[in-house]
Amino acid sequence: MEQKNTSQLIINSSNGHLSRLKEILSTREIGLLLIIFVTSILLSIFCENFLTFSNLTSIAIGMNYDVLIALGMTLVLLLGGIDLSVGSILGLTGIITTMLLQAGVSVLFAVILGLLSGTFLGFINGIFIAKFRINPFIVTLGMMAIARGLSVVLTSGYFVSKLPEGYLIIGQGKFLGIPNPLYVMVLFVILFDYLLRKWGPFYKAFYIGTNPDAAELSGINVSLIVLAGYVISGFLSGLAAIFMTSRLAMGYAQFGLGAELKAICSAIIGGASMGGGEGSIIGTFLGVILLALINNGFVLLNLSIYWQGVINGLILVIAITVDAIRRARKGESRA
Amino acid sequence: MINYILKIEGISKHFFANKVLDDINLKIKKGEVHAVVGENGAGKSTLMKIIGGIYTSSEGKIILDGCEVNFLSPQDAINSGISIVHQELSLAPKLNVAQNIFSHREPVNKLGFIKWAELRYKTRQILKHIGIDIDPSNLVADLSVGMQQIVEIAKALSQNAKIIIFDEPTSALSGKEVNLLYQVINDLKSKGVTIIFISHKLTEVFKISDKISVLRDGKLIGTRKTKETSIEEIIKMMVGRELGNLYPDKSSHIGEKIFSVKGFSRKAEFEGIEFDLYKGEILGFAGLVGSGRTEVARSIFGAEKPEFGEVMLEGKKVEIKSPWDAIKNGICYLTEDRKSWGLFLEKTLRQNIIAASINKFVNKRGFLKNRKIEERAKYFIDYLNIKPADDKSLILNLSGGNQQKTLLAQWLNTEPKILIADEPTRGVDVGAKAEIHKHLRKLVESGVGVIIISSELPEIIGLCDRIAVFNEGKITGILEKDATQEEIMKYATL
Amino acid sequence: MGLNEKFRTITKVNNLGLLTTIVLVIIGMGIFFPRFLLPINIEILAMGFVQEAIMALGMTLIIISAGIDLSIAGVMPFSAIMVGIFLNNNFGITVSILLALLLSALVGFVNAQMINHLKVHPFICTLATLTTLRGINLVITKGETVAGFPPAFYFFGQGRVFGIPFPILLFAVMAIVFAHLLKNHKYFQQVYFIGGNINSARYSGINIDRFIIFIYVLNSILAGIAGIITASQYISANTGFGIGIELRVITVVIIGGASLSGGKGTIGGTILGILFLAIINNTFVQTGAPTYWQEVVYGSMLLIAVFLEEYIGVKRKGTGVLKRWREFML
Repeated sequence: MEQKNTSQLIINSSNGHLSRLKEILSTREIGLLLIIFVTSILLSIFCENFLTFSNLTSIAIGMNYDVLIALGMTLVLLLGGIDLSVGSILGLTGIITTMLLQAGVSVLFAVILGLLSGTFLGFINGIFIAKFRINPFIVTLGMMAIARGLSVVLTSGYFVSKLPEGYLIIGQGKFLGIPNPLYVMVLFVILFDYLLRKWGPFYKAFYIGTNPDAAELSGINVSLIVLAGYVISGFLSGLAAIFMTSRLAMGYAQFGLGAELKAICSAIIGGASMGGGEGSIIGTFLGVILLALINNGFVLLNLSIYWQGVINGLILVIAITVDAIRRARKGESRA
Repeated sequence: MINYILKIEGISKHFFANKVLDDINLKIKKGEVHAVVGENGAGKSTLMKIIGGIYTSSEGKIILDGCEVNFLSPQDAINSGISIVHQELSLAPKLNVAQNIFSHREPVNKLGFIKWAELRYKTRQILKHIGIDIDPSNLVADLSVGMQQIVEIAKALSQNAKIIIFDEPTSALSGKEVNLLYQVINDLKSKGVTIIFISHKLTEVFKISDKISVLRDGKLIGTRKTKETSIEEIIKMMVGRELGNLYPDKSSHIGEKIFSVKGFSRKAEFEGIEFDLYKGEILGFAGLVGSGRTEVARSIFGAEKPEFGEVMLEGKKVEIKSPWDAIKNGICYLTEDRKSWGLFLEKTLRQNIIAASINKFVNKRGFLKNRKIEERAKYFIDYLNIKPADDKSLILNLSGGNQQKTLLAQWLNTEPKILIADEPTRGVDVGAKAEIHKHLRKLVESGVGVIIISSELPEIIGLCDRIAVFNEGKITGILEKDATQEEIMKYATL
Repeated sequence: MGLNEKFRTITKVNNLGLLTTIVLVIIGMGIFFPRFLLPINIEILAMGFVQEAIMALGMTLIIISAGIDLSIAGVMPFSAIMVGIFLNNNFGITVSILLALLLSALVGFVNAQMINHLKVHPFICTLATLTTLRGINLVITKGETVAGFPPAFYFFGQGRVFGIPFPILLFAVMAIVFAHLLKNHKYFQQVYFIGGNINSARYSGINIDRFIIFIYVLNSILAGIAGIITASQYISANTGFGIGIELRVITVVIIGGASLSGGKGTIGGTILGILFLAIINNTFVQTGAPTYWQEVVYGSMLLIAVFLEEYIGVKRKGTGVLKRWREFML
């Protein structure tokens, strides 16, 4: 019996509260919560600084960018596509925003223009993929190169610094004692999760990912929704860029390097499938938490950063393998 | 001593927990034309694939020409003289006819390099033998579907098989090509080649086979000599019960015009299509494969845009630019390939039933109304008798008949005014077929206009009140319900 | 087949446009930058792109098989680094090279097994391998450059045979062999079946799994060779080698006419693609444009190439219906 996501549950709920409760408890998300719980316990035993307030907050704040990007990635994977350019869009958007600030543009306008540019880049991805129907791997691979290249061209490798106070507040400020990024992160997770499971226009994404041709023949506007998916992904990358650059108080062309892999990994751990048609926002969120905890473990245990790359790669391999096994088992019951 | 070239003894096969074949015992004589029929999911294709070395059996043995054989790969079977002509085309599109016919068996020199001249020569020989004129250097991708199927057959012939298995050989062929195939089969028979073929077309089975074996739910129900049995008996064996009427009574009352199409044209696909549809009648589109029926239907539905033409619904002109427009106007289309274009296999019954009408199940702000969804799903499962009745079962686990019923439910849910069903009973077992026919008739009686596209003449004649016959993109005639098969064929091949 | 027929077949397959473009660009360059046509520049042009060229030969096979291999961007520095380490440990040139190539082959083997058994799209599998390899490279070198190559090693990147740089000669020989094999050898022809219609391969008795192993191992070995040549050229090895190279190699093969959905492509076409991109590469050198622009240009080229190949190609088929969605999604 394959594990279900909560998204499947909502639409397929049967009568009776007890059976509903039992079903919820057997979902993937609960399983992930358990793993996170266990991991946290292990970390608090082996790493002396794990359970400190400062460590936990820094994990939470650091997660902000990853969550936003992973949300967009979940949508795109759900639609049956992929977006390899998220990291580069983050980088370029960050550069554009910070350079505008440096040039004296007001914080409000810089932020708006920055978000617009991220959205626009996502839009270009979407046009190639949804309108011209070109392979999303290649399109976003190309965009990844273009955006990263432009970032480097614009800055010639230098940092963009000396940013106005009004901007830094975005990433560094607190409201009622809780850092701004955390509000945004939680807000988006709850919002997107609810919309995806319950809102008609978003819900159609599940059908598109499963069988785009059939979805089209069922009257669903596949092109539009796929386009929207990439636009949203671009927007979220841009938003992440704003938080990152304002928190770190600088713009740097190499920001976001490798972000796409983390995002794909989180999404798959959270239940998205490479084949499309499946995905869970809460699951992705939990996936980001898990990865963040593991990385935190590296730092606290003083593991050389070089190993992080290897471990991240291996985690991706494991995530894919598990996803593949899940899919195979589903397909085999067909015979 | 009777010369049995192939003996199947106790063959069983399971995929994980699913038992697909159960203790099959079959004896086939050399030079015989043996048909295998059965409902969808009965196990026919699986059995053929085991004989052909694509699958291995879980139990049992195969005895070829007196010796037990154990095929571990298609190559083993080919080497032992068993070839399969598959239903799904297995040709490499960017390679030419010669390369495809001799795939993996090209004449080579000592170092493995292909001898092109010899390859072309051998190909020409085979094609001449069949009686077909194709240039061996043509790319397969440039051939028509019918021609591709012929190449598939040539491939099997080139393997000099003792036994050739045909899986639904005429599904993609036009009339001329079908006769060609019959000739080929007769020719092979006279040379002592044994033929096994799977077909859903019982009239065809009775025309060319010597023996018929019926499978049902993975078991062999029985083998009969074709001359000593009848279609009714075979159907009974396939379904396991008396079927009653396969086709419900036709319309007693035809109402006013509900739908009409004028001047529908699209370059190279169809031209000057014009017809009317009346309330209470089922209109059939008959014609050979490739005559443009599906293209017309898809264009009416907005999946493709016609270049000219207009559509009138209930007396008013309508502009259909996309499936969404069509659905909004009450026109719906059941695709001929439900697995690829109609259903969402990895999703549940419930999710499939609402797929085309999601907007009916959301509230003003766009949020899903789960209770309503659940009700409607249960309603249709009940109404159409879909099994299993659990609305959370995955579609891919359903049989062909139940999948088709789900497709029907999906579109009935849109409360259509016009329903176009493309090959509504393709790959559907006889039992479900009768049910679907019954529902189509009920639909029409409730005031919906129904158009059926079918390549099965008995179905067209049995079900439709009027028949529009297509040939090469044009409607060559509109016949009344008492038309004969010959008449229809005449118009289809004008 | 006669030489005439060979040429016609190459140009007939979709490449007439490419050939014309190349000729035009060469003429254009020759007019505005006379130095372009000097033999010394032609050599710089060739040498500047020879790693991509070698890897493109293997990538052609991979893409025809409807697969893709991103890990080459990790294998190339990996083999450069390993050969350096082996040489530093006095393993001798032949042994060092063989070991480095063996390790590269191992990576290809892992790729193939993942693809064969996990049923996951090669893009993801090789992406995972790439990430892991990049990490491994960092761990091994700790970010530092490997040096200490013996003079005899310089030959592979800098030596000459009959006056022609060794790498170019190596590529030329390999290109001719590959082209001939792909077109005429029964074993290599299998790739068109596997990529064109998997059933056509299955039902013909082709051992698909084994062939996949073959092409991915071969591809990785070629990447390994490219790495060794690069190490020999720069007399050093570090993790900075091969960044972005997977993009260029894939672009080259697609420009050459291969399709991502498989079943289509030729070595001849790839060679034209190599030529085209090598010229573009050289224009950066000629015009003195900053290297930062390269990524932008290559990314754009890839998009244009795919767009032309997939979109225009579809319209040419004249079915009147846009390609199905299924073929694009993962």
